[in-house]
Amino acid sequence: MEFKWMLLCLSLLAVSAGVARAEDEIDADEEMIVSEDQGLVETEGDESTIEDLEPSDADTYLLFTKPVFEEKASIELPAGRLSEFLVGFTNKGSNDLVLETLDASLRYPMDFNFHIQNFTTVLLEKTIPPGSQATLGYAFIPADAFAGRPFGLSINLAYRDYEGKQMISKLYNDTVNIIEVEEGLDGETLFLYVLMAAACVLLLVGGQQFLYSVGKKRVGGGLPSRTRANLETGTKTSKQIDMDWVPKNVLNHLNKQKAQSPKQKRVKKTD
Amino acid sequence: MYSLKSFVIVALICTSLTVSSQNADSQQARLLVSKQVLNKLLVQDSDILVKYTIYNVGSVPATNVVLQDSGFPDEAFATVKGNLNIRFNRIPSGANVTHAVVIKPLTYGRFNFTAAVVQYKSSEGAEEPQFAISSEPGEGYIISYAEYDKKFSPHLLDWFVFAIMTLPAVVGPFMLWWVSKSKYELILKQKREKVSKD
Repeated sequence: MEFKWMLLCLSLLAVSAGVARAEDEIDADEEMIVSEDQGLVETEGDESTIEDLEPSDADTYLLFTKPVFEEKASIELPAGRLSEFLVGFTNKGSNDLVLETLDASLRYPMDFNFHIQNFTTVLLEKTIPPGSQATLGYAFIPADAFAGRPFGLSINLAYRDYEGKQMISKLYNDTVNIIEVEEGLDGETLFLYVLMAAACVLLLVGGQQFLYSVGKKRVGGGLPSRTRANLETGTKTSKQIDMDWVPKNVLNHLNKQKAQSPKQKRVKKTD
Repeated sequence: MYSLKSFVIVALICTSLTVSSQNADSQQARLLVSKQVLNKLLVQDSDILVKYTIYNVGSVPATNVVLQDSGFPDEAFATVKGNLNIRFNRIPSGANVTHAVVIKPLTYGRFNFTAAVVQYKSSEGAEEPQFAISSEPGEGYIISYAEYDKKFSPHLLDWFVFAIMTLPAVVGPFMLWWVSKSKYELILKQKREKVSKD
C-alpha cells in the first residue's frame, strides 16, 4: 500500500517537473521574442534608449483644448481639422530643468514602432526654474486619409536636468479614433447640384420645344388661311413702303432717277 | 490593556494625519495658460488679437491670479484695447477664463511672441505664489503696410485711371452714331409736323 502511494507521488512529481520544464521552454521562447523586439527597436534607432524609468522631478499634465473631451479615455480627433492640446509642466525638484522638444505622431495601433504620420517636433529650449510651471501649446492636423480608423497617438516631451541627462516623458501613448467630419455643404457638392439643376432646366426647355413643334404639325397639316394672309411677301406694292425715314434730298434724287429710267434714256437716244 | 488601546488610537490619529496631509498635497489648483495670436496675417499699423486662456485643471480654485505679459515693448507695439496686465480674483476648479487684448505693431519685421507670466495661489493656505509661464505663439513676420497693400488693396485708383484711358475708344463711336441718329430724327419730326398741318 505504502509502495503504491510512493509510486503515485513520484509520478506526480515527474509530471509536474515536466510541466515546469515545458513552461521554462515557453518562457525562453518569449524571452527570445522580446530580445528580437529590442533588437528591432535598436536598429530603428528612434525613441532612443532613454526612458524616464526613475522618478523624476517633472510633473506633466495633458489637456486637449480642441476638440474638448470629458475624459481622456475616449479621444476622437477630426481628420483634416486642427487639433490642439496644452501640456502643463511643473518642476517639483530643486534644480533647473530644460525643456527640449515636444513631438506627436500617429502610430500603427498594432505596433507602436511603426510611424504612420509624424507631426512637428517643436524645439523649446526653455529653462524651468525649480518650483515653477510652464505651459506648452501644440497643434496638429491628422491627415484626411486616416478618417474612420483608430491610430496610436504618441506625444513625447523631452527634457534634460542640470546634469544634462535627457529624459522623455510620454504624455500620451494610447489608441485614438480619427473621425470623419460630416460637412454640411462643400464646394464640390454645391457645384454638382447646380449642374444638376441646369441639366433639368435644359431638359424642360428641350421638351417644351419638342412638344410645341409636334402640336403645330398635327393641328396645321398645312398652313391655315389666316396665317397665310399675314405671310411676309416682301415689297410687292410700293404703296406699302414707308419712305418717311429717308431724307428728302435722297428721295428727290431717287425720283429723278426713276423718271429717267434706263429704258426711257434708250428711247430718247434712239429718237 | 489600556496601553494597547491608547497605542491603537495614536496609530489611527497618525494615519489619518498622513492621509490628510497627502490630500492637502494633491488638493492644489493647477493652471494651464495658453497664449494665442489669432491673426493669420500680421500687418504693420493694423490690429492683432492676442488671446489668453487660463484653464484650472486642479481640484481647488486658484486665487489671486495675476497675468502679466511684458512681451510687447512700447516702442514696437501700441495697445489698442485691453490690458496686458490683468488680475483674476478666483478661477474655480474645472473652469477656464479667456482674456483678449488688441495690439498694433508700429514697425515691421520678424518678431518673437514670447510667453506671458502668471502668478497665482495654488490653494487657500498657500503662502508663496506659484509662478507659471504661458505657451509661446512663437516667431511671426509682421509685414509692412506697403507690402500688404500691394497684395490686398482693391486698386480703386488704378481702375479709375483705366476707365479714363478707355473713354476715347468708347465715346468716339458713340458720338458718331448719336449725331447721325439725331439728324434723321429731326427730319422725321419735321415731316410729321407738316402732315399734321395739312
